[in-house]
Amino acid sequence: MDAVQLRETVTQFFAFEAMLLDEGRFDDWYSLLDDALVYEAPLRLATNKRADEMVAGAYRFADDKKIIRTRIDRIQTGNASAESPPSRTVRSVSSIYILGERDGVVAVSSTIIVYRQRANDPSGDTIHARRNDRLKFTPDGLRLCARTVILAEVSLSTPNLGIFL
Amino acid sequence: MAPLPLNALLDQVEESLKSDLIPVCIFNDEEIFRAEIERIFTRNWVFVAHESEIPGKGDFVLRRIGLESVIVSRDTDGNINVMSNHCRHRGTEVCQADRGNAAHFTCPYHGWTYRNNGDWAGAPHLKEAYGGKLDNKQWGLLHAPHVDSHQGLIFASLDRDAPPLKQYLGNAAWMLDAMIGLHPAGMRVAGAPERYRVRANWKTAAENFTGDVYHVDYLHRSNEQVQTAVGLQGSCEFGRSYEMGNGHNFVGHEWVKAIHPGYVFAGYPQSYIEQFELSGLDEAQLLMMRDKPPTVGTIFPNLSFIRVASFTKIDEPPAVMTSFRQWQPIGPAELEVWNWQLVWNFMSEADAEAVYKIGQFNFGSAGVFEQDDTVAWESIAKVGASRWWRREGKHFNFQQGHRSAVDQSPDPHWTGPGIHRTTGYGEHRQLAFYRHWLKVMRENGKR
Repeated sequence: MDAVQLRETVTQFFAFEAMLLDEGRFDDWYSLLDDALVYEAPLRLATNKRADEMVAGAYRFADDKKIIRTRIDRIQTGNASAESPPSRTVRSVSSIYILGERDGVVAVSSTIIVYRQRANDPSGDTIHARRNDRLKFTPDGLRLCARTVILAEVSLSTPNLGIFL
Repeated sequence: MAPLPLNALLDQVEESLKSDLIPVCIFNDEEIFRAEIERIFTRNWVFVAHESEIPGKGDFVLRRIGLESVIVSRDTDGNINVMSNHCRHRGTEVCQADRGNAAHFTCPYHGWTYRNNGDWAGAPHLKEAYGGKLDNKQWGLLHAPHVDSHQGLIFASLDRDAPPLKQYLGNAAWMLDAMIGLHPAGMRVAGAPERYRVRANWKTAAENFTGDVYHVDYLHRSNEQVQTAVGLQGSCEFGRSYEMGNGHNFVGHEWVKAIHPGYVFAGYPQSYIEQFELSGLDEAQLLMMRDKPPTVGTIFPNLSFIRVASFTKIDEPPAVMTSFRQWQPIGPAELEVWNWQLVWNFMSEADAEAVYKIGQFNFGSAGVFEQDDTVAWESIAKVGASRWWRREGKHFNFQQGHRSAVDQSPDPHWTGPGIHRTTGYGEHRQLAFYRHWLKVMRENGKR
């Protein structure tokens, strides 16, 4: 696969993923996750040195695939108030930069902006993050093996992270 | 309709409380909020940090006391300082980092510089501008007049006439001694506090953590459905009330009855229990910690905690998480949650990491319990602003104590401090919180 094809494949994957999550097709999204998935958002602080921003061993969430399944099941009970009614979301993924590819795994850094209008809220919240991902080539297409979500906000302005980023 | 003056609003609260009712207006009112900042947050002892967050000389964290930005530092002599973050020259914030290590804080505006104990230390062009050094105390950072800690929790009061911290905490100190004093090495903060903003009044969250065990099996039922929790329907039945006075309220659960007689010490593993040092506990503390330990509580005004055996799935190993959380007032209808996960110092790194992650999975911005609390709380602030409800004089109902078929009388066998009841029903803790709130709002209004 040449660089142009690779970029096209990765871009399509992110766009597909964003569409599935915006449409609440969680089971379809779940099928894009590698069994060894690591999905986490490290805790970030405002510090004088950029290198000190991330707090070692501290996360807003640090999920594996089984935990993602539980989160999806919980949303699908219809009794998870934070997502009932489900938020209307629009995910915009951009600044896609392919860091490299090795042994069938491609490392990608991209940005995501999620507009989230929750339940009957009059206005929505916007969540901004950089995502550092590892995507694996499989016979069924790309699968997400690792995602580190670097949130822009030190103090979140959305009341909870009831949605996937 | 013109807004009622503050004293008339407080009269309404006082009258309503006689019938175990709370007027909706206190959950979203500019006048009430301004008075709370002045009368509660600049007068009471307020939690600012855990000692483990600033272990070394020069370590600091940036914190809040109500709306005040304060630096909590461990100075070069090892003493803890709580200081206003604003430069004495023009008021610019001298620190804009959430944490770090510094010998000095230098104002970014003109360069006035302070030592990490707050002393004025210098300024640019000293001779030309000021003819020489200024007095280092007179022009030092404003210090909170009272700073003290209990079981590693650092509190500060901005009121020169505040009583000693031990007196302010009263029976809550006894509770913290039992909870955190279980092991002589104590607890530490894992990571750093997580923060997120909820469009709700700070009292709503504080009230919930006084011991609203009634909401647990309904609001959080999805967790039982997907088996991230079990037995939520017993939350009130096995709830045990600890009303400690001074606005401090707690609720525990009698796990030895709810689960099985061997489920002692909140479900901590036997290997931990063997390491607990119980000889310092009095008889009531020992009974409480063994059979019916505190699950949640609120230390007035805005520090709460939760300690509970938690799961990522009930067929996975549980961990007893401890989270302290602070409900920072931002506005009448906005709070910022600060969530500290605490772990035992004697735990292995691997155990500490496991309990941290389980804690965050349940109670944090992405927590499968806490997510749902945030949205339940937000709409309370919406009706708090309702002119219709105010005009109709409508209240929230805290009347379980009058109507419940369950015996809620104080336990005559309780030998510990405060009032203990052997049920979670009754809404006594919430009412005790609001009665204290009213008392403070009245008394500090006269000063």
